[in-house]
Amino acid sequence: MSDFILEARSIQRSFESGEKQIEVLRGVDFQLKSGQSASIQGESGSGKSTLLNLLAGLDLPDGGDVLWKGESIDGKSGDVLSVLRGSLIGMVFQSYYLVPELRALDNVMLGGRISGKVEKIEERSIELLERVGLGDRMKSLPATLSGGERQRVAIARAMISNPRILLADEPTGNLDETTGDSIMEMLQALCREDFVALVLVTHNTAYASRMDDSWHLKQGVLELSERVE
Amino acid sequence: MPWYLYIALRHLFPQGKRFPFFTLMSVTGVSLGVALLIIVISVFNGFGHEIRTKIADTYGDARVTNGGILYDPDSLVASIEAQEGVTRATPYANGVVMLLFRNQPLYPIIEGVDMRSDEELDKLASYMTLGDIDDFDDDSLLLSSGFASQMGLLPGDEVDLYTPLMGLKLKQSGGDEVLLPRLLRIAGIYQTGWQRADENTIIGSLRLMQDLYDLGDGAHGLRVQFGEGLDAEEEANTLTQSLGRPYYARTWMDSQSEFLSVLEFEKRMMFFLLFFIIIVSAFSITSSLLISVIRKTREIGLYRSMGATSRQVSACFCFQGLLIGATGTMLGFALGFLVLAFRTQITQGISSIMGVSSSMKEIYAFSYLPVHIVPFDLVVISTLSILVAVLAGLIPAFRAGKLKPVEALRSE
Repeated sequence: MSDFILEARSIQRSFESGEKQIEVLRGVDFQLKSGQSASIQGESGSGKSTLLNLLAGLDLPDGGDVLWKGESIDGKSGDVLSVLRGSLIGMVFQSYYLVPELRALDNVMLGGRISGKVEKIEERSIELLERVGLGDRMKSLPATLSGGERQRVAIARAMISNPRILLADEPTGNLDETTGDSIMEMLQALCREDFVALVLVTHNTAYASRMDDSWHLKQGVLELSERVE
Repeated sequence: MPWYLYIALRHLFPQGKRFPFFTLMSVTGVSLGVALLIIVISVFNGFGHEIRTKIADTYGDARVTNGGILYDPDSLVASIEAQEGVTRATPYANGVVMLLFRNQPLYPIIEGVDMRSDEELDKLASYMTLGDIDDFDDDSLLLSSGFASQMGLLPGDEVDLYTPLMGLKLKQSGGDEVLLPRLLRIAGIYQTGWQRADENTIIGSLRLMQDLYDLGDGAHGLRVQFGEGLDAEEEANTLTQSLGRPYYARTWMDSQSEFLSVLEFEKRMMFFLLFFIIIVSAFSITSSLLISVIRKTREIGLYRSMGATSRQVSACFCFQGLLIGATGTMLGFALGFLVLAFRTQITQGISSIMGVSSSMKEIYAFSYLPVHIVPFDLVVISTLSILVAVLAGLIPAFRAGKLKPVEALRSE
């Protein structure tokens, strides 16, 4: 049994662009233990988001294997992966992806409703929104929230189903520096308190340096540039 | 409530926002289709119901015959009226005669009614449009409106009446006898609203028919009325069995089966044609839901990233089709019943705007737009409209379910 909660073994992924085949990932290895954090940096178009999607099981590699809690996800159907992902992984995106028709509280509760494994969804959602500092904006629709507030709602939503892993794809990419800093502090605090493993895709070196592991993706190969033991 | 049903509800009826335009259009399409179906089918049923009532009124619930002449109808009347479920039995006689007026001959069907029956006379009085029932006696006739207008006859006019029996007697006498017609006065004109009865029939007294057809005190049959709400078919069968051969009770539905099947066919055709409105509205549901799937592609990707299965995503859009269908059907019912409740005012309004007479009695023999709501029709309309809406939602639902999560999240 592997010690890692999330692991990638020699994964490859290429895409067709016209008649050309572009190799985005050329045998990537990645490991993350429970409660640890890791950042993935790289230039735009280097394949960071592709790697994150493969780690989340949203996309399947052309070669290699992704393991969740030491178990390969290879050969599992899309629906089985969805159900497993719902209980194991939370995701945060650069563009928040809040459901515009739902209030902040309902957006958070939706995460729990979909995973179907959360008891007392409303109480937990309120608690999470208070933890991210939005106790007074629960009934607001996304359109009336600022960018930072929307991302806080998205983080609370990702945490509702008690995930063991949080995958964050440039969560501060659309925010100013001050708001980005507060979001990052909050994200790290939540993961630390709830013992959630965090994978952060970012361009920001300062944020990356706060993680236990710092990985760098270059020309389809992922290299560990720093590890805090 | 499962999350996908909750999201479907929120897509269609978002919190704190105006009613979405696409939802409004789709629901309106279904509502109008359902309302129109309910209105037209109920009015169609109303006409059919009125005509059936009038046929049953003029024909009787059933007629008992023995295939020839009933020589002692009164004793049969007594034995039939003693039967359970029978409220009235009256003798009648009918046949074809020739009427001559101003050298213009016509050959109507004549029905002889028993003048001793007050109910028969009251019923005739209710259908009379010209003349007075008190003037009706053994030497007079009542003419159907169609026949009267064809011959240009009015109450008070006199006509010569010949029967086939007169021709037979003339033949048997070798031409020695003089053929004298029966001179009869027109006592009144009636209109039942049933075209067949109003086209080529006339009414005389039973005594007159007994004279014309040499029936003595006999009759051709008995017109039987059953109790309110009883099944005429069932009662007629019981009557036939209890009377035994050669007597036979035939309901008005048996006698008019072809006409009734035409009415039913017309109604079905109308239903079929109007149902196309709901099918057209189904296309609007499909297109609006397809647009919704495209607009919400990234949202679908998000659901998948949070653990939603493709079936749940499909169910979300399929349920939207069901909701549109159910909401549209409910509103259609409300609109349909509202229009039916105010049909008189609406028809009068249309008549006054178009400057035509609002009296329906002149055209249809009804003073109002008849409506008869059949619960079974409502069940069929609601079931089919909701079913079509669900089917309309299947294509977008299938498309939403087939979206790959990563592609959905990447979409612009």
